[in-house]
Amino acid sequence: MLTKELIGQVVNTTKLTKKNAEQLLATTTAIMRENLLAGKAVQLQGIGSLEMKERKARTIVHPRTGERSIAPSKNQLVFKPVGNLKDELKKI
Amino acid sequence: MAEKLSWSDLRRALAARANVSEKEANAFLTALNAQIIEALKSDKQVKINGLGTFKLQAVATRKSVNVKTGEEITIEGYNKVAFVPEAGVKELVEKGSGTQSTEHRAQTDNAAKIADVDPIQKLGAQAEEIVDLLGDLGQSPKEEEPVVEEPKAEEMVVEEPKPEETVVVVEQPEVSVQPAEEPVAEDPKAEEPKQEEKPKKKSHFWRDTLICVVVLLILLVVGYFFLREQISGWVDSIVNGIHEKTEMQAGEANEDQNAVSFEDEQNAAGSVATNESDAEELEFTYTKLITTERLTNGSRLAWLARKYYGSPVYWPYIYAANRDRVSDPDMITIGTAIRVPQLTKEQLDTTNTQVIRLLDKLQRAN
Repeated sequence: MLTKELIGQVVNTTKLTKKNAEQLLATTTAIMRENLLAGKAVQLQGIGSLEMKERKARTIVHPRTGERSIAPSKNQLVFKPVGNLKDELKKI
Repeated sequence: MAEKLSWSDLRRALAARANVSEKEANAFLTALNAQIIEALKSDKQVKINGLGTFKLQAVATRKSVNVKTGEEITIEGYNKVAFVPEAGVKELVEKGSGTQSTEHRAQTDNAAKIADVDPIQKLGAQAEEIVDLLGDLGQSPKEEEPVVEEPKAEEMVVEEPKPEETVVVVEQPEVSVQPAEEPVAEDPKAEEPKQEEKPKKKSHFWRDTLICVVVLLILLVVGYFFLREQISGWVDSIVNGIHEKTEMQAGEANEDQNAVSFEDEQNAAGSVATNESDAEELEFTYTKLITTERLTNGSRLAWLARKYYGSPVYWPYIYAANRDRVSDPDMITIGTAIRVPQLTKEQLDTTNTQVIRLLDKLQRAN
């Protein structure tokens, strides 16, 4: 499902107008991004939490040449679903 | 652990930022989350602009072993929720401004700044630092001079890259620079530019060798064609000569044989017979099809051969039967309907050398 469709669904279930919903979603994602980048974990009720974590540097091997090099450490977003949702979606 | 932005925090922040009441913000967020979950269930994928995509990923059923008892158990396949950040977001995150890595970021920023500076300037600054440090150590100033000069020699090369000779000359001073730089090792600033300098040299070196290799290859190819024409001319003339000779000999032999030899005639008949059987073998024919099978992901002709004929070595038969659909047996398209021909017992006899020859031929003939 794309963002447009998602907004359409949200509009259907609330009293918001499409424009308003779009604006709210943009603001929400902006807030989430800022907090994530500031190192905060963002909780999404009923879905899970997103957090930025450091991925440590590690040695990697070039599969063809067998050359070893170091992949530098970097940050990545980690999503952890809520247990309920996890179980619910396991069998679909 | 990191701080959290709880649900209520998010609601409050949204209300403040978007100029709506908290109630409205709450209604929106609740509806949003409910819809995300619904979409995950129905579409297995939700894309949220400015953040990323939530996906339902299937984990296949797999076999495992009970660690305690050693029993084999199967772990049923299931779905898991995965999140893939949007490209822009991912980039931002990778640059990283996490609480735990603020120091790290400061360092990388520093490095980035240094990288922006012209390499020549860098070398100059580096040399100055070395001079300072050596001065601190109270060593004689004579040693400083070569260090300052050497970077200059490198400048020349940087400005006007020449073929290998100059590169070789430059590599030597580099060796002598390194020991002089070692006392500076504590200073991260001096170390970083040094690291960036090396790949540059390397790329020079690689570029030169690459050019050499390409030139050699071209020469080889040209030489090959030139020689081939000459050699083929040679070979032709030699072969023609031999032919003439053998014909002459054969003529003589025939005359001799005409005189007697009943046995020889028989032999000749036998050899003709084998030749005929050879010819028969070399033509691969089939009358019936066992089946036609659609290729699925990961299947090959050799697997089909094993499935229907008991051994993968018979795959050239299948290939031969599907020439019109399979142009390259190593690159077959998924979904192609492959004809599997019914083979006779003789065709499936690998003890027969003729069969092996036939397979070999089928495999090669394009």
